[in-house]
Amino acid sequence: MNAIFAAVFLLAGGVFLIFNPEGFLAAMLAGGQKAAALSLSLLAIYCVWLGFFNVLQDSGLARKLSSAVFPLSRRIFRSDDKEAVYLASCNLSANFLGLPGAPTPLGIQACKKFCERGNIYASDMLFVLNATSLQLLPTTVIALRLAAGSSAPADIFLPTLLATLCSTLVGGLLVFITRKRK
Amino acid sequence: MKYLSLAVPLLFLALFVYALIKKVKLYDSFTAGIKGAIPLVVSLFPYLAAVLILSELFEQSGLSARMTALLAPLCKGVGIPPELSKLLLLKPFSGSGSTALLSEILGAYGADSYIGRCACVCYGSSETVFYILAVYFAGSQRKNFLKPVTIALFANLLGAVLGCLFCRFL
Repeated sequence: MNAIFAAVFLLAGGVFLIFNPEGFLAAMLAGGQKAAALSLSLLAIYCVWLGFFNVLQDSGLARKLSSAVFPLSRRIFRSDDKEAVYLASCNLSANFLGLPGAPTPLGIQACKKFCERGNIYASDMLFVLNATSLQLLPTTVIALRLAAGSSAPADIFLPTLLATLCSTLVGGLLVFITRKRK
Repeated sequence: MKYLSLAVPLLFLALFVYALIKKVKLYDSFTAGIKGAIPLVVSLFPYLAAVLILSELFEQSGLSARMTALLAPLCKGVGIPPELSKLLLLKPFSGSGSTALLSEILGAYGADSYIGRCACVCYGSSETVFYILAVYFAGSQRKNFLKPVTIALFANLLGAVLGCLFCRFL
């Protein structure tokens, strides 16, 4: 990330310096503004879902769900840390169902736990599975198509699902193949 | 689409009823959960801000437009309509930016055109890789993310290529 940041920043900064020096600070401030606005809307989303997940935890349902999915998920993540694996499986299901905003706090917590244990493989796997999208129903796209006057807004469902299934499988497979063997 | 909008309220109601049966103090439990929201957002903020400032610089400096032009023939080579090169480039950085761009593309080419459908599939089958990277590994000690990022970008590109192929006959 340090290398990407430095490279893009220097390149973009250089272009601004030559062509549009006044725009440089304005663009950075616009980015900061977006970050502030996004944080606020994230805070709103997390309020709802973190409350929900805590009730899930306290009701004891979380433990039941986690022992049900544990055998499968521990193979995906190659980890015996029950809590982290549970968080990661919740993250994947929330992604799959397309619950807006719900996967992120779960993913962050799971990733943190994996990283603390030094389980780089699991954090890579979690990241790649998340970053290749595994949503069942692309709700945003369908809404946008409807707004654009499509006669069949949902007809991209099948190609999208197949494409995202392939990308997620290939991503996961690549993480598995390139893992460091002990 | 009706049944999908039922899912979220049903999920909450089912859990809360179950929790009540298990004698959970709902208000206490719900507020205890929310307590974690502010520290979470605060811990994410610096990474979020850096990524968004960077993507704004990338976009407004014209680098994004330059790279779009470079990318267009490559897209054509792998069977993606060249009109979508900007969308492919923007999506890994910015969720809101690519959503705006998708609705622009749908407006310009029509939602049911081949290009419009391909745009939808490319958008729907990929994710904001750099945003997820920044947020998930916020504050992590790890330094080298080259491997997972490369894999994620490659897989998303593959998804786009296959998606455009599927759009031809699905």
